[in-house]
Amino acid sequence: MTNALHWATFGAYLSGTVCYLAYVLWQRMGLARMGSALLWLGLGVHTGALLIAWLELGAFPALSLRQSLDVLSWAVMAAALLVNIKLEVRIMGAMVGPICTLLLLGATWMPGPAAMPGPALKSIWVPIHVVGLMGGYGLLALTCLAGLLYLAQERSIRAKQLGGLFQRLPSLGRLDSFGQWTMASGFSLITIGLIAGAVYAHQVMGSFLRGTPKEVFALVTWVAYAALVHTRFVQGWRGRRGAVLSVAAFVLVLFTFLGAGLLFNDYHSFSELIHFTGQSR
Amino acid sequence: MNLILVGINHKTAPVELRECLAAGAQDIGPMLKNALELPGVNEVMLVSTCNRVELLAAADSPETNRLLPQVLTGGRKFDPTALERSLYIHHDDDAVRHMFRVASSLDSLVVGEPQILGQIKESFRLATQAGACRAVLNRLLHTTFRVAKRVRSETNIGGAAVSVPYAAVQLAKKIFDQLDGLHALLIGAGEMAELAAEHLLGGGAASITVANRTLERAVELSRRFGGKARTMETLDACLAEADIVITSTGATEPVVTKALAKTAMKKRRHKPIFFIDIAVPRDVDPAVAQISNCFVYDIDDLTQVVEQNRANRTEEASQAELIVAEEVVKFRQWLKGLSVAPTIASLSTKAEAIRQAEIDYTLRSAGLTPDQAQAVDRLTRALTKKLLHDPILFLKGQGHASAETRRNQIALIKRVFGLSEEDQDS
Repeated sequence: MTNALHWATFGAYLSGTVCYLAYVLWQRMGLARMGSALLWLGLGVHTGALLIAWLELGAFPALSLRQSLDVLSWAVMAAALLVNIKLEVRIMGAMVGPICTLLLLGATWMPGPAAMPGPALKSIWVPIHVVGLMGGYGLLALTCLAGLLYLAQERSIRAKQLGGLFQRLPSLGRLDSFGQWTMASGFSLITIGLIAGAVYAHQVMGSFLRGTPKEVFALVTWVAYAALVHTRFVQGWRGRRGAVLSVAAFVLVLFTFLGAGLLFNDYHSFSELIHFTGQSR
Repeated sequence: MNLILVGINHKTAPVELRECLAAGAQDIGPMLKNALELPGVNEVMLVSTCNRVELLAAADSPETNRLLPQVLTGGRKFDPTALERSLYIHHDDDAVRHMFRVASSLDSLVVGEPQILGQIKESFRLATQAGACRAVLNRLLHTTFRVAKRVRSETNIGGAAVSVPYAAVQLAKKIFDQLDGLHALLIGAGEMAELAAEHLLGGGAASITVANRTLERAVELSRRFGGKARTMETLDACLAEADIVITSTGATEPVVTKALAKTAMKKRRHKPIFFIDIAVPRDVDPAVAQISNCFVYDIDDLTQVVEQNRANRTEEASQAELIVAEEVVKFRQWLKGLSVAPTIASLSTKAEAIRQAEIDYTLRSAGLTPDQAQAVDRLTRALTKKLLHDPILFLKGQGHASAETRRNQIALIKRVFGLSEEDQDS
């Protein structure tokens, strides 16, 4: 069942992506609308699939690299579609579509959970921790994309090259507020996710922080984004500088999510996650 | 049914001739009436703008060709050779193609400009009001509007700006997303700056401040825009508040230096500024462009943008021509379906064939004298002619019916008399 839903989601994301890419090429509004409808459909199926997996597993399905990529794909797509309702940066569909489709496809080949989850993973704090962080990462990925688009558009305006790229990219003002909005909400979500994680750690392990690499990197990431939010809102570092910083900061997110999960071997790593019981082994 | 279009435009006639021929709104009614009184003219409409005067008619008679240009001059005296040299006459497909091209702005002075479609719509409205448009022109004009819309949505012909002030506004929109609530600052009070400011206000800019060397001129200009007037001494404060700055002073040294812009940027907490420098020599130091969130376009940059856009439009135009060609063929097919002549011809042919066959059969077996045979022949001729008289009259009488009714009636006659569809083409 979940497998069929997985491929249905993949199909919807893929066709939505194709529509959006065609839209970028030919600039027909109909294509963007169709792409948006397909991606929304895909997101609906995806959400359903995750809920079913959650019920079947009894724990939130983010216990292996496969599941984590799956949830990340869902989070990025949900963030993009929701933010786009208000800000309408249509080209985002053409950026997010391929990313989510590839994440989903990548998830297919990654190892799934090697066992059934223990009772410790069934706490309500786990989904808050995971959805908060994944949703935050999804939004921050959008900030990064908006930053890249901003830099591209700024470059064409400065170079006075007002060709196809200039026509297709949205205005600097819109990209900047898109980046600002997604960064503020992404930062809020990772804050919630980190607090939930700390509370949970305190419950099962007796301490808020264990000092494992993933935790350390998550904190570094959080501090970096706190600084970014501060400079933007208090000092007015918007525009080009804000865009460059938001792209740079996202490297930290990528490392925290993938690097720390794959390189180091602790209870947060993708291979050990499923065996987590709360007792140190 | 023939379509005829006569007219002059900016390519064939100098402005002196065009303004003589151009008809005011009050002249159009009588002119249409005159045209309708010509023999064979069923429907007519007149398009009169500053770049073209064109008369489009649906007529039955070939004579209309000769008479229609007279309507255009409206009885006024003209140098006939000058008029003849500039006048063009298009028939049928060419007339249809011409209408499509004009409405799609392919025939305009500035290719892709959007006003012409509205002007044609207005002309059509006037003609309809005067009762001069019926089935054919109705259909043609509605098709024309659709073609123009198609060209606009399927090509980028009207996309990019082809005038300097408009290009500046379009750029501003790509920087700030929308002009609503933005503050503009005019430094110097030149004519071009005024024009650009009007465009900005039209686009939704919130306020305009004018800074000038002499305060009098600044006050004068700012009053026109309902803005504030400042002297050059307060420039740094003005810059801190302005999102869009248009400079056009006669100063020989840059008025906005890098240091000045830098302090202004700090004060406005790095909100972007768009400098539009239309002065020669330049008023904004080129080094200002190095500051983050400062965008500087001088007059050469804008002119270049406009040139580039013009070139792109020409490219898009060739794509639009394809759309027009396709639609001309579709319209031709529709027009053919309206014509009663082929149906009348095939009706007569069929009757004659039946008569001939029956005559042959009867004469072969009856053994009549030549006189008798001739009488029978005459009798059958008269019979078929009289029998067909009413249906043919009925078909011909459809000239004023609506297009849809006409098509239906033709189809009905064909069914009743068992005429096949292919006959239409013969």
